[in-house]
Amino acid sequence: MKRHLSSVLAATLLLGAAPVWAQGTDASIVSAAEREGSVTIYAALDASEALELVRGFEARYPKVKVDYNDLSTTELYNRFISEAAAGGGSTDLMFSSAMDLQMKLVNDGYAQPYASPERANIPAWANWKDQAYGITAEPIVFAYNKRIVPEAEVPKTHADLAKLLAEKTDAYKAKVATYDPERSGVGFLYITQDMQADKGTMDLIKALGKSGTKLYTSSGTMLERIASGEHAIGYNMIGSYVRERQKRDPSMGLVAPSDYTVVMSRIAFIPKAAKHPNASKLFLDYMLSAEGQKHLANRSIGPVRTDMAADAELVPASARPIAIGPELLAYMDQTKRLKFLKDFQRAMQGK
Amino acid sequence: MNRPLRIAVIVAMALAVLAPVGLVAYQSFLDGPFFQPQTTFSLSAYEFVLDDEDFFEALGNSAMIAFGMTLIAVPLGAILAFLLVRTDLPGRRWIEPLILVPMFISSVVLAFGFVVTFGPVGLVSLWVKGWLGEVPWYLYSKPSLMVIAGLTHVPHVFLYASSGLRSLGSDVEEAARSTGAGPLRVALTVSLPMIMPSILYSAVLVFFLGFELFGLPLVLGDPEGILVLATYLYKLTVKLGTPSYQLMAVVVVAIVCIALPLVWLQRTLLKTANRYVAVKGKASAVRPVSIGAWRWPAVTLIGLWLLVTVVLPVSGLVLRSFVTSWGEGVSLAGSFTLHHFKELLNYPNLVRGIVNTVLMAAVGGAASVAVYTLVNLAAHRWNSGWTRVMDYLVLLPRAMPGLIAGLAIFWVFLFVAPLAPLRQTLLSIWAAYTLVWLAYGMRLVSGALLQVGPELEEAGRVVGASPWRVSRDLTLPLIKVGLIGSWLLIFVTYMREYSTAVYLLSPGTEVIGSLLVSLWGTGAVDTVTALSTVNIALIGLGLLLMTSFRKHHHG
Repeated sequence: MKRHLSSVLAATLLLGAAPVWAQGTDASIVSAAEREGSVTIYAALDASEALELVRGFEARYPKVKVDYNDLSTTELYNRFISEAAAGGGSTDLMFSSAMDLQMKLVNDGYAQPYASPERANIPAWANWKDQAYGITAEPIVFAYNKRIVPEAEVPKTHADLAKLLAEKTDAYKAKVATYDPERSGVGFLYITQDMQADKGTMDLIKALGKSGTKLYTSSGTMLERIASGEHAIGYNMIGSYVRERQKRDPSMGLVAPSDYTVVMSRIAFIPKAAKHPNASKLFLDYMLSAEGQKHLANRSIGPVRTDMAADAELVPASARPIAIGPELLAYMDQTKRLKFLKDFQRAMQGK
Repeated sequence: MNRPLRIAVIVAMALAVLAPVGLVAYQSFLDGPFFQPQTTFSLSAYEFVLDDEDFFEALGNSAMIAFGMTLIAVPLGAILAFLLVRTDLPGRRWIEPLILVPMFISSVVLAFGFVVTFGPVGLVSLWVKGWLGEVPWYLYSKPSLMVIAGLTHVPHVFLYASSGLRSLGSDVEEAARSTGAGPLRVALTVSLPMIMPSILYSAVLVFFLGFELFGLPLVLGDPEGILVLATYLYKLTVKLGTPSYQLMAVVVVAIVCIALPLVWLQRTLLKTANRYVAVKGKASAVRPVSIGAWRWPAVTLIGLWLLVTVVLPVSGLVLRSFVTSWGEGVSLAGSFTLHHFKELLNYPNLVRGIVNTVLMAAVGGAASVAVYTLVNLAAHRWNSGWTRVMDYLVLLPRAMPGLIAGLAIFWVFLFVAPLAPLRQTLLSIWAAYTLVWLAYGMRLVSGALLQVGPELEEAGRVVGASPWRVSRDLTLPLIKVGLIGSWLLIFVTYMREYSTAVYLLSPGTEVIGSLLVSLWGTGAVDTVTALSTVNIALIGLGLLLMTSFRKHHHG
């Protein structure tokens, strides 16, 4: 006990003020993390968007250096399993928006459990057995171009969208954009979530197909084309990116559907083979802390914490978070996956 | 070089090539990742891919695009090279650096430039629509893709052809002119046939580039879902939920199966390589062919190509970096902003990325050219089974689309213990680049080598010089121009290369290309265009310096 206290004291002295208690990370972890001296992160979040978070962490824990690698979700997965197979790993923390791939790694036993002191402040769906943590809460929304879509026509629900496309098929011919579930992993995730939430999704897909909806692989090009007027409406867009774009582009509109709004979360886990497990725990806690979440929120990435005021327009009462757990793996089954894709294609062709 | 040294160099090269390629071939016969213990031998990957209609669609599209772009790029590139290198075309010193621009802009970004200018609500499209009432083209179609791919690959052919033409004495052209042949006839029947090896090499390579085309179809093929082999690889991953290396490996094997007959064809066509000897014992000054009245149609042709391939898309891109939005009903003046550039300053390690990129392109590029020259000298004027095998080997790394090449080379660095310490250094990235672009650098250097008359080297031998000394004091100085051209090609190639290095990058070794891709992935189009604008400005500056340098040295 005495030793414990003195290490708390030491850590406190080292840090100047007393943020350790406020932060909540166990003092022994903090001092162990400082001995480890660095934390390597593999993340699918762009380095410039994570900049504030990383700088905030380094300011608070100047003795722990952050090695931040940003990769695409697939690269992240490939690199992780290859390095794990080659013995040991190079990463201390995995952070990615590909919820299913992250969950697969956790399910395959690559993660180590850590009971974060912040877990009391996050919803139950965002924590799976203390192994996988949801760090963000980002709604999946409709984006639209205000110059093209008249206020009265802006769809508020999924059914509205289907109706609009059915009634004004010609006006919206080739004017809608969405992810291609065959070519985009996250697109696949969002549309299958829609299927679970709403029996009418297949009708919506048929309406999309009928109006000549264009299917894309990345949200960046879709948003750009909606902004330019090449498309008018984007279905299943990541709310954070739309929000960020709205900051500078007044003609970009956003609707979080009021019937239900799927909310996705970027998942973080600490690999079993982490070389700096304590530094990793410290960073995970920091990401979940009010301060860390604020840094992310400044880049329009919604906070997962229950005690932080969510953007009401973005996360309405109808929010339907994608729960973190093995259910995410349902479509990893090849037969089931290919069957859904076939159904999707047929619906797009109006069959 | 003596025989043991030659064999040693060739064996070393073969090892470097076969390690990643062999690994991929091996992977194609497994039912899971090769590094997982429960994996067994199986042909299931072949069954899956050969039963997948998407694969055949992608293969067909890739073949069509590759064929079409070769047909467009090769004649245009060759004629451009003749006009700029051998004639008195006005303003040729200023045109030349511009021609190279499409090569050093990341193809994803260049494709985006086309969207901004020629897309359905692009700047040029809207302007044309104002005149005609409709847009007479559709950017996201296969023919557009083919034409744009062809036009943007003109510089590759240009570089090969121009380096061949530069080391060609003008005596043959003068002979033709003095018997009354017009400039076009000189080009088609004298100059260009003399550099047939360079042109054929570039044709095969452009055809190959067509197969691994990624950035253009990713952006331009996206709305209509036009699949090519490289984007098919992505689709495979998504279709099955997790990356299936064995399936990707099968696709590589398929590309190799297309590559090998191509190399054979090229070898057959070039069997009598000494027909193309042009650098002989007798020195002669290079004098440009006067093209007289032809200069105006020629300048118009070049101007048109430049306008469509370089000026308009690049302007669109640069413009996009200064506005918050664009398109139908947007006032560009009202959207002006410098925010994207300010945002760029926020980017961590940006300066380090730029420094790494320039370092890799300049120093790494020179080192790669040295390697290519060494391997070339090992095979130079040596007719043996070793060199025949080598001809086939050099093209193999490029048979892997960038994404897979990167993964395979990453595996080699990861699982081959002696290489492991190098993995997170710039050295591993250099090795990966050198390997992947082996075919390009090799061909360029060998194009120059083939033009050196054997009698010069024989003369060196006769006076008692060792084989090594002949290479050093005789052959190398003679192909100096070719080597500089080769370095230039490698420089611009490395400047925009990224996919090979994606898995080898770590903090401290990032390059601009990878920054661009990660930004593109998150949809930060604003920052992407700003970064590209900076990138273009940087390289433009470099090319300008080089042009004035050349001017001083050539008078």
